[in-house]
Amino acid sequence: MAETAMPEIMPDLEEKEASESKSKSELEPGYLVICWNDPVNYMNYVTHVFRKVFGWNKPKAEFHMLQVHNQGKSVLTRESMEKAEHYVHQLQKYTLHATMERDE
Amino acid sequence: MKFLKLEKGAFSFHISERERRALFKLLELYPLVPASYQKLSRDGGKPEDQQLLEDALNSQRNEHKAQVLAMLQTKSRFQSAPGGYQFNLKPTEAEWLLQVLNDIRVGSWLLLGSPDSMVKIFGALNDKSLPHFWSMEASGDFQMTLVHALTGGGGTPPPSTETGEAIM
Repeated sequence: MAETAMPEIMPDLEEKEASESKSKSELEPGYLVICWNDPVNYMNYVTHVFRKVFGWNKPKAEFHMLQVHNQGKSVLTRESMEKAEHYVHQLQKYTLHATMERDE
Repeated sequence: MKFLKLEKGAFSFHISERERRALFKLLELYPLVPASYQKLSRDGGKPEDQQLLEDALNSQRNEHKAQVLAMLQTKSRFQSAPGGYQFNLKPTEAEWLLQVLNDIRVGSWLLLGSPDSMVKIFGALNDKSLPHFWSMEASGDFQMTLVHALTGGGGTPPPSTETGEAIM
């Protein structure tokens, strides 16, 4: 029986696993998109922006707007890192105070 | 400025000459909010990510600035009408104008010292801060009319107590 030749260079399994693990982590919906209370933005403006960015209906957008107003912040969605970044950027284009935070 | 109608995919507003001059004066201020005002995460995040965010915001603002200038230079945008002009905007144009106006509103608020109530604003008004107060309020007024149109409103906007309450 012929022996299988050993490759001269072993693949860096640990590095590959770490890379795969990182990619998986970035794809998992583990990032929260949060909108923070901002004393300058009008309530119906904020509602409009939520509807525009997330495609929500008016009651849902108003619910989150009121959460921002009454509780100081609202978690708008939980997404992968890439999508969370996208949403935060969209909200910031409208000068809303939005950030993404790792969901611990 | 008053919203008149949505026809053939474009919004029509009535705007007086004084309002038009005020709108142009406001748009000259753009952009007012520094890109560093926005943070990707509450703890600041990685400096390289923050830099990417600021670059993206600056790029978007430059694009908007060019669009604003193009709008100022298009004479057909404002058609003569009794008591002023008919001001026409496509929905996408109304959206970016809304973003521009809110940048001016928030930027003016920052220049006023980020007060958390109108009482504090009035308490600190002086010759230096008055122009910032004017630009904050005037941009907010135009914004309300645009939001009214974009959310399917008709005729004149409801009283400001119903639609214009800031999150304070």
